[in-house]
Amino acid sequence: MISPGTEAPDVLDSYRQEAGLSHSELWLRYFEMGGMSTGFELEAYLSGALLPSPYDRDVIAHALNERFSELGVDHPVRYRTELER
Amino acid sequence: MRVGRVDDVTAFELAAVLDAAIDREPTSMVLELGELVFMGAAGLVVIANAERRLATSGVALTIQSPSTLVNHLLGIVEEARVERALPGSGHLGPEQLDGVEVVSQRFGSSLSTRDLRRVAGMPTDPDVVDGALGLVVELALASIGDADGVSVSLLRHGVLSTVAASDQTIMAMDSDQYATSEGPCVDASLRGHWFHAESLDTETRWPAFTPRARALGIKAILSSPLRAFDQPVGALNIYSRTASSFEIEDQQAAAAFAEKASVILSDAHIDVGDRQMAVRFQEALRSREVLSLAKGIIMERQGIDEEDAFSSLLRHSLRQGTTLRARAEAVLLSVRRSERGPEGDAP
Repeated sequence: MISPGTEAPDVLDSYRQEAGLSHSELWLRYFEMGGMSTGFELEAYLSGALLPSPYDRDVIAHALNERFSELGVDHPVRYRTELER
Repeated sequence: MRVGRVDDVTAFELAAVLDAAIDREPTSMVLELGELVFMGAAGLVVIANAERRLATSGVALTIQSPSTLVNHLLGIVEEARVERALPGSGHLGPEQLDGVEVVSQRFGSSLSTRDLRRVAGMPTDPDVVDGALGLVVELALASIGDADGVSVSLLRHGVLSTVAASDQTIMAMDSDQYATSEGPCVDASLRGHWFHAESLDTETRWPAFTPRARALGIKAILSSPLRAFDQPVGALNIYSRTASSFEIEDQQAAAAFAEKASVILSDAHIDVGDRQMAVRFQEALRSREVLSLAKGIIMERQGIDEEDAFSSLLRHSLRQGTTLRARAEAVLLSVRRSERGPEGDAP
């Protein structure tokens, strides 16, 4: 399995597209979970232009994973390794 | 490969150029769409076809700098597997290909079109959005068997209207539903789930509208809801002159088209009414508040910082297979319980 950080920079954005979420809807879900970055920063994380903090990376991963479980898919986006244990 | 406009006419040229390039068995192919100002449905079908042809020999087609809109539309074509008469190759002489620069670059074949797509901008102009929805209508009509007409209804400032329709009969069909305030399109738009009238001959749900539809020769209707920010904002309506014509695959295709149209609408912001946005935002704010309180409780109990408190909540919700909000609510509930008795529910 790939560990977060070694994956291609735009992997989060391809997950977003796969989940059928617009940038704005993903931002709202991220905000809902306590995310503090702006929509613009979130887009930069997704495209790999900015590196999210480990905490932000987990919030984004979880916002995507909750959407995936709504779609009946078991959380495909990885978290920081210590959370997976 | 540089292209300015890809409409029904130039799509033939594009198909010929792509076919010729694919015949030379390239190891990779790059399509530069940065200077594209217009992309019609025919062009999308040509690109999807080239992508499929290349994929059979394990070659990836890389599409560079498509607009957000073209990106969405290519996604629609890919998923819907549009099957219709494609502009073929061999119709054009080389003189007609002048000025088309074929750029061939070597890339690792492990990269797929999907990986390499980049979102270049956000559509905000209502005309652009209507144009995109028009393409969705065209593609749905082409790919759903037995569909005789397709339309998109949209709530703008609280009023439902048709923003794209395949022909005048369909336009009239939608108008009849708005006029009678009933019908599958009205219900799907306002209630946010899909409505399927398998046969209007036996339909009883919409007594004022159904006779009007029958008079225009319509026998079956399938309306799928469009959503933006989790709020219903409109519907994708598919009409057929044949009863019971929408099979399971057609219903799935309709749902996929509706999903794509919803993403276009969410990205465009403009089509989401202030009221709907306010409701969605209020919900988000409430969730954030619940989470915030739960984090505070965990921080106090375990003497940890906010980020660790979040990780703790996340770990528990993952283990128990609940949502983060449900986990946070359980933590809040445990405080109320421990106020009453000794047994607290530690996160």
